[in-house]
Amino acid sequence: MAALIGRFGRYLRERWISLATLVLLLLAWEIAGHLSPTSMLRSSPIVPPWEFVFGPALLGMSDYWTFDVLAPVPSLGGAQTWLGATLAIAYHSAITLLRLLLGFAAGALGGILLGLAFSLSGVLRRLAATPLHILRMFPLLAMVPLFRFWFGANTTAAVAFVAYGVGVVYFAATINAVSNVPPRYIEYARTLGASRLRVYASVIMPAIVPELCSSVLLTLGLAWSAVIGAEYIGLESGMGRIIIYAQYFSNTGRMTLATLFVILYASVSFMLFKRLAARILIWMPETAFGGGRALASRDSP
Amino acid sequence: MSGHGKGIVVRDAWCVFEHVSGRKVEALREVTLEIPVGQFVCIVGRSGHGKSTFLRALGGLNPLTRGEVFVDGVPVAGPSAERGMVFQDETVFPWMRVRANVEFGLRAQGMSAAERARIALDWLRRVELSEFVEAWPRELSGGMRRRVALATVFAGGAPILLMDEPFGALDYVTRLSLHRLLLDLWRNTGRTIVFVTHDIEEALILADRILIIMAGRVVDDLPVALPRPRDEEVRARPEAVGMIKTIMHHLGLDALAAEGFERAPELAARR
Repeated sequence: MAALIGRFGRYLRERWISLATLVLLLLAWEIAGHLSPTSMLRSSPIVPPWEFVFGPALLGMSDYWTFDVLAPVPSLGGAQTWLGATLAIAYHSAITLLRLLLGFAAGALGGILLGLAFSLSGVLRRLAATPLHILRMFPLLAMVPLFRFWFGANTTAAVAFVAYGVGVVYFAATINAVSNVPPRYIEYARTLGASRLRVYASVIMPAIVPELCSSVLLTLGLAWSAVIGAEYIGLESGMGRIIIYAQYFSNTGRMTLATLFVILYASVSFMLFKRLAARILIWMPETAFGGGRALASRDSP
Repeated sequence: MSGHGKGIVVRDAWCVFEHVSGRKVEALREVTLEIPVGQFVCIVGRSGHGKSTFLRALGGLNPLTRGEVFVDGVPVAGPSAERGMVFQDETVFPWMRVRANVEFGLRAQGMSAAERARIALDWLRRVELSEFVEAWPRELSGGMRRRVALATVFAGGAPILLMDEPFGALDYVTRLSLHRLLLDLWRNTGRTIVFVTHDIEEALILADRILIIMAGRVVDDLPVALPRPRDEEVRARPEAVGMIKTIMHHLGLDALAAEGFERAPELAARR
């Protein structure tokens, strides 16, 4: 117990500035909530103060529980319940997370494989350069309707959209990372008798992992934006859908709440990946993911 | 034209690069020489005068513009496991543990895991890294990583080892200990070693024979008949000192050149 308090104390000492900023921000929001004029609809203050967000707005999330089991369904005349709110948040979060993960995995895998394939020859790389440049300039969210048109208003569209948004980044990052592998590693491998295939598998692939790990951090945020963006249009479930429903009724509290949950999920996924990356990149001298230190530095004569 | 006999045969090798400016650079000019099996050859010369180009041509990493390199009568067409290389820059793969690094060449040759492990551990013992078999390269010092590189090329079994200033970035003491190690390994294995260096002392410690390359040409070919080990006393003998003078002269560093700055363009330009 004492150790736990000690650790918490150290955490406070190290992070007190960021914690103080956070508290100030929350406080400022609360003050703004009380100073801002009340809107005509009682249920929606313009800036919802925290007691509203975690009170009526949170309870109101039970409106999005639509299965007539475990908790009453408000849309069928049932009461708003805390259990219903919890179930609704869990259900819609899980749906969004599933879309995100599927899209992310497909995009990352596809982008990396395509990038590796195009890195095989200089001609292919030059061939890909211009379209890739154009592709990266596309405003991602502006393409949501297009994906809806192509795939319909369903999970496939959301997954494909996330995969596209993420995949473009991985495609470009892979091509770039492969061309950044120091040529001496490749020459060295060749003089040890490695075939082209082995050079690819044992030298180029591991050498690009650090750069790809940076891309993961970059694309995690992007993927969350993309999946919410895809859910704005036409989908009947997911956190993005909740935000849009809440907007129909000017329900600022629920919008804020759903946004907070997305922030929470994005932060957790960030943190989890950083931990994973630190394990994957254990061989790196110093990494952004907290790499290792030298254990030995002596030369026996 | 074909290469006869064992060892390395170089016939009228030319290597011309086109500079970005369009200027043609003759990095190698009509180099013709033979290196018999088991010889330790050092190549000395000023930087940018073709030492590395020559070594890379032997390794099959630089295509020749003209002429040919033969190894045991077979023309060199590209890099191969027959000619191991140790580069000036760090090449130990940081993403593999020490043992996996040493096993890399053996794995490429399709050797079984047990056999690979046996050979790798043996070579790691010989370079005195038995304690660091499962370490990551980042956990080792620069000198230790050089030992890993040596263990890797020796374990790969290449009869010819090409080394491009492999100890150039190391401190004096570490370099001396690595000289001793390399000479031990060489003596016990009978490999042919071609070793590029800019350090005359290093060449005198290591070589059976010193080639001096200036402006792409082999301008001198000196057999080193000094007894081994080549400690300070041996290196202070009149014949050793004579050899140092000859090399200095070729490099444009002798007293005569120093006076007129004729052979030292950088110095002349600075004036």
